[in-house]
Amino acid sequence: MSVSLRRLTRSAVLTALALALSVAEGLVPLTILFPLPGLRLGLANLVTVYALCRLSGREALLILVARCLLGALLGGNLMALAFSLTGGLLALGGMALLLRLPGLSLFGVSIAGAAAHNTGQILAAMAVLGTSAPLVYLPPLLLCSLVTGAVTGGVSILLVHRVPFSGRI
Amino acid sequence: MRSPAAERRRPTVWDGLVVLAVVLLAGVLVFLLRPSEGSAVTAVVTLDGAVVAQYRLDQLEEPATLTLQEASYPLTIQAEQGRICIAHSDCPSQDCVRTGWISRPGQQIICLPNRLIISLSGAETDGFDAVTG
Amino acid sequence: MKRFLPFFLCLLLLSGCAALSGEAEPAQVQFFSMDTVMSIRVYDGGGEDAIQAARQEVERLDKLLSRTTTDSEISALNSHAGDGTLVSMEPEVIQLLAFAQSISQLLPGDFDITIAPVMDAWGFTTEEQHVPSDASLSAAMALVDSSLLTVDEEASAARLEQAGMEVDLGAVAKGFAASRAEAVLREHDVTSALVDLGGNITAIGGKLDGSPWQVAVKDPQNTSEALCVLSLSDQTASTSGGYERYFEQNGVIYHHIIDPKTGYPAQSGLLSVTVVSSNQMLADALSTALFVAGEEDALAFWRSRDDFELVLCTEDNRVIVTEGLEAGYRPAGEERGYTYEIARR
Repeated sequence: MSVSLRRLTRSAVLTALALALSVAEGLVPLTILFPLPGLRLGLANLVTVYALCRLSGREALLILVARCLLGALLGGNLMALAFSLTGGLLALGGMALLLRLPGLSLFGVSIAGAAAHNTGQILAAMAVLGTSAPLVYLPPLLLCSLVTGAVTGGVSILLVHRVPFSGRI
Repeated sequence: MRSPAAERRRPTVWDGLVVLAVVLLAGVLVFLLRPSEGSAVTAVVTLDGAVVAQYRLDQLEEPATLTLQEASYPLTIQAEQGRICIAHSDCPSQDCVRTGWISRPGQQIICLPNRLIISLSGAETDGFDAVTG
Repeated sequence: MKRFLPFFLCLLLLSGCAALSGEAEPAQVQFFSMDTVMSIRVYDGGGEDAIQAARQEVERLDKLLSRTTTDSEISALNSHAGDGTLVSMEPEVIQLLAFAQSISQLLPGDFDITIAPVMDAWGFTTEEQHVPSDASLSAAMALVDSSLLTVDEEASAARLEQAGMEVDLGAVAKGFAASRAEAVLREHDVTSALVDLGGNITAIGGKLDGSPWQVAVKDPQNTSEALCVLSLSDQTASTSGGYERYFEQNGVIYHHIIDPKTGYPAQSGLLSVTVVSSNQMLADALSTALFVAGEEDALAFWRSRDDFELVLCTEDNRVIVTEGLEAGYRPAGEERGYTYEIARR
């Protein structure tokens, strides 16, 4: 298999996985437990973390954008696209930055990613609605992101170590 | 991309710093978004359009008395912690004295003959925008 | 670039806060005109310019309509009473006189703009308020008859047929001023504003978030409290009550709303009447007329028409709200002993 074909396949599989995860997550909404708009576990973020660690930033970005677009197609909601794309891009940027720091583990990276995702969502909501009202949801969302980030962080450690994409399939 | 973070299996002190930063950000946001001024009540006294006195009623520790000799009908305003009234007025209608104490944002005392208004403002209102009557 | 991301993020967040606190600051002005305090609050459109233009319009009308300003149109009309002169006047004043007369015809005995001599006898227009002697009251009552006011709309002129008669537009001037102020504000692209002409509230549009304005009706027995709160948009609420101006003599309280039938303060069993209508002049005039008419006649009149709604506060602590106001109204005086009922057609 040529390099580009391998890369394409890899990205496609991960995109499908991310899409499946985010749909699965939608079936068991956390908001039933905690009535906080925008609250979710962020399992799709796992794929972003994995792609950042084992592949490259470019591929992670590609997978993210593809996942968001396809998700919007599936859900048929443009508002949701704005939210997930802003949140996802902010999380991706933040995590790529933190992965360069020497002292952190994936727990810290995932928590920062979850916090950045929530921040992005709220910013998008503020832009779409044209008011700063959604901002009041950000502090509780940030606190929740400590928990969701830690959970996805733990899972991503398992993932990154058990599935070592060495570049050869 | 090779990252040391990707190889670790246990959380580090630095992860704690990330948690701290997120908590701090949440705290700062809560602080910035708190309802401004809280229970602040400001009384503004205007005589014929010009502000002659201003009191932060919630912070007033000693009762204050203000006598306006320059008004067409001299009057005396009395302010205490949380409330204000016109104690005496030489005006013919006496409506202003009859109004009595006011204490809530949005309330007013008006002395028409003197063209004097005492109005209270603050963050908390009674949940309406205007009063008819 | 990524290094600056957190920085930008903070900036974005902070700008959000600024927008939050600056959201609902209207351009506003408070001033004295027509013997009362007025305030205009504008939330969008022309802002400061709109407010000043509206204020000037109200002050212009005050000069035109005041009975106490010697060079006003009304003073000219009054000074020619009984001498046969047809006094030519501004078309808008003639229109207002004709409107006031139409209310007198709709509610005979409850409303009369020629009541001024009786108001003077009581001293309500001057500083010395007192119960008039029988002689001076009957002399003044002889001058009250709005059928002796001739209004010629085609010639834009009017005439008082009997010497001593006087017109006072106090019961309609604020409504007229409100309609003109609203027109001026709308010319300045204002779609969200509150005009308060001495407790006569005109709600222009709704709040910026689209919800209606919340307008409290004063408790006539405790004027620092609210009787109820109404939801208004593009409507005027006008209230008349004896509590607004009164005096006490020998232990009896005399208020300023004179019944044209008796020459004495109206004893209709009502403490206040609030009229809500999209017609500002109608709201203003009816609040006075229906206060004099009393509960039964007021509700009967309401049932005969569909262009206004009512809040009546009775002496026995009942608050009657007509059904058109039911949605979006909330009572506020239960703990002060008021009971609330909805009047149906």
